[in-house]
Amino acid sequence: MASDPARICSHCGLPISPSNLVTEELDGAQVPFCCHGCRGAWLIIRDAGLSQFYGRNDYQSGTLKNAYDSQFDPAYLGSFVVTTPEGAEISLIIDGIRCSSCVWLIEKFLLQQEGVLSARVNYATHRLLLRFAPQVTNAEQLCNKVAELGYLPRPYSQSELRTSIERERKSMILRFGTAVFLSMQLMGFSIALYAGYFKGIDDQTRFLLQVLAALVTTPVLFYSGYPFFRGAWFALRNLTPNMDLLVALGSFTAYAYSLFALISGREVFFDTAAMIITLILAGRLFENSARHRATSGLDRLLQLTPVLASRLTDEGSVQVDSCSLEIGDRIQVAAGDRLPIDGKVLAGESEVDESAASGEAVPVLRRTGDSVMAGTQNINGVLVVEVTAKANESFIARIAQMVEASQAQKAPIQALADRVSAIFIPVVMLIALATFFYWGANQTALLHAISVLVVSCPCALGLATPTAVMVATGRAAEEGVLFRGGDCLENASRVDRLAFDKTGTLTAGRPEVVDCRATDSETALLTVAASLEAGSRHPLAQGVMAEVQRRQLSYTPLPEVQQVAGRGLVSGDGQLLGGSRLLLEEHGIQVPVQESANLISEVHFARHGEYLGTIFLQDRPRTEAPEAMAQLRKAGYVSSLLSGDQAAAAERLAEELGIENWSAPLIPQEKTAAIAELNTNGHQVMMIGDGINDAPALSAAHSSCSLVGSSDIALEQAEVLLSRPNLLLLPWALKLSKRTMTLIRQNLFWAFSYNLVAIPLAASGKLLPVYGAAAMALSSIGVLLNSLRLRRVPAP
Amino acid sequence: MMTTILLLIFLSFCIGTGVWIFFLYAVKRGEFDDIEGAKFRMLEDDDDPPQTAEKNRSQNENLPS
Repeated sequence: MASDPARICSHCGLPISPSNLVTEELDGAQVPFCCHGCRGAWLIIRDAGLSQFYGRNDYQSGTLKNAYDSQFDPAYLGSFVVTTPEGAEISLIIDGIRCSSCVWLIEKFLLQQEGVLSARVNYATHRLLLRFAPQVTNAEQLCNKVAELGYLPRPYSQSELRTSIERERKSMILRFGTAVFLSMQLMGFSIALYAGYFKGIDDQTRFLLQVLAALVTTPVLFYSGYPFFRGAWFALRNLTPNMDLLVALGSFTAYAYSLFALISGREVFFDTAAMIITLILAGRLFENSARHRATSGLDRLLQLTPVLASRLTDEGSVQVDSCSLEIGDRIQVAAGDRLPIDGKVLAGESEVDESAASGEAVPVLRRTGDSVMAGTQNINGVLVVEVTAKANESFIARIAQMVEASQAQKAPIQALADRVSAIFIPVVMLIALATFFYWGANQTALLHAISVLVVSCPCALGLATPTAVMVATGRAAEEGVLFRGGDCLENASRVDRLAFDKTGTLTAGRPEVVDCRATDSETALLTVAASLEAGSRHPLAQGVMAEVQRRQLSYTPLPEVQQVAGRGLVSGDGQLLGGSRLLLEEHGIQVPVQESANLISEVHFARHGEYLGTIFLQDRPRTEAPEAMAQLRKAGYVSSLLSGDQAAAAERLAEELGIENWSAPLIPQEKTAAIAELNTNGHQVMMIGDGINDAPALSAAHSSCSLVGSSDIALEQAEVLLSRPNLLLLPWALKLSKRTMTLIRQNLFWAFSYNLVAIPLAASGKLLPVYGAAAMALSSIGVLLNSLRLRRVPAP
Repeated sequence: MMTTILLLIFLSFCIGTGVWIFFLYAVKRGEFDDIEGAKFRMLEDDDDPPQTAEKNRSQNENLPS
């Protein structure tokens, strides 16, 4: 079926189910589409003269989703529009960008719209900066245009925190750039001075060069190095020596000594002072860019703006911010939407997927009078819900409070380099002091003491962690693993116990066909089932359809299928039935009693009043889960299963995957308690979960991991994010984190061996500054090269 | 000899400052905000560059605001 070109959508490239076939005539031929949305998008692209989009070689099948129903509230969007002298401006996060072609299409298409001044999408963050003439067009119109293309634009809320991070990033680039340009100038003077040192130079020229060197070094130290001096000041005040203090100490003593040497006619080493600042700024920049890369990936996965709800009033429904809902308000929740608040069903009947909140994989029927929770997904009917708790008191909000509470309990972890500095600085200070007194506490003694401080070079020490972290996070990102930062790598490396959530983490979170029992043949049963269930969004129906597609059966979808919420599906003529035992029995059909484990979902079918057979579905473990668990066991990790689902389901899965310990059913508080219990006796736990109910446990554990497709709150908590739904990435990520920490220790060791040689030489007054500088550069390069070895970690 | 050195130093200082000012300008313009995009954008060839944006811009300038 999939090979027939007439059955492939010309826009999205997905197979078309016959009932949905839409065609459009082009040059006498019929162009097929899978839905009106795709046809619409295709027409827009063709009419805009951008048909070459389909010819672009990086255009992949499945790039575009269906067009979204346009629902942009002008007043809501208006609050994000900023007026500038050139026109109006709005920042949007575009959902659905997969490749560079998407960016190309959105930019070119928007530029063709009346009134658009500029449209620029950031490839890394998928942020669109749109400038337009407010007299000609408005944000709502343009958002609708983007939505028509098949992408979902969301206003980007520029929070205080985000703005300040971005400002800091910019100032860091400026500081670094300035440091580099001035250091390059300085390099010229220094080479001349070094040449003069060996070959001889007249005093006048030397003095001139030294003054010039001092001139360019001063801004490097006090402008570019300002963050270090500020950090050092805080460290001194709190009596917690850290990296900043070491950098400030090293560079400032080198600078101050050189100024003194300049006046008294000795050798200067301004280049050391400038190099320390420049190199360590580079290290910070590397580390920041690694962090930035991880968070921009995360920003894309997270909903950045408040959830919209459609509130019912006497005049109809209005889109409002869910935070503005009051108790007693009525809202309408369409099929497929997530519930924005906790509430009680007033009208309607629908199945609700509560897996994000409870871990239960099979949807639950909710009807009038039942209560529903925020964050769960309405599957197949329209519900009218009365708000029973305000957004900030809902189930999700309570979970968020628990998360905050457990975060507050967690002590901040001091980075390895800072811990090393805490010991290193006092030791160096002591040696310098000892040197000073050993040489008789006079001027020469002071010079020797200062050279101890200068050569205790923090460069290699400062580069040891950032370079390794940058290379490791870059390598991890290539494989689809996002580490939030260096501390997350460190946390992950120390983990020895793992706690897994069940649904959506170890299992796929959607039922798969495990057995068919038909009165006729299995194929015939599946074909009939497919024709009935082709249009349904119910997870059980989708499980059946997945099986049909796997077996490549062809079928004709029935045009009119009625959904009976909680029961199943009935064909338009009422002859074909598919659903629960109850549905068939209500139509007077006897269903034979089947022997099956009670955890398996059953879908029964009947035609013309005759029983056809039953399809059994189950939420199966991910295909790679056994392999991943085996690898983790081999690596010495002890795993436990913490599930919110029924005990029998958890036990079965634990047995199947060979997990030693399991507990179920657990509510969020109990999961957190279980993590605390695992944490005892010096063990370090990593929690792996995806649901809203896992969030407190994720933040309570030493380290945490989420898979793509997890709930927002779980993603926000996770320190490690697997951006591909592949559990095998977990053992790989853990291995990588261990290798990185080993490498950082090696780097620190190199940096120390340099100090081990240089400090005694300096203390004995025998170190020539030239050799000191050369050794310093060598140790830094050694650290860099060592870090680059992480690039060669093989793929999982 | 001394004049030559001074002249050269002055020259290199001027060039350096020029580049530095250009760098400041680039950071201000947001040239470092999207370091991913450049490698894709350079491969894009516009067969028929859309003129609308240019047109819009000139229109906007003419409009009374």
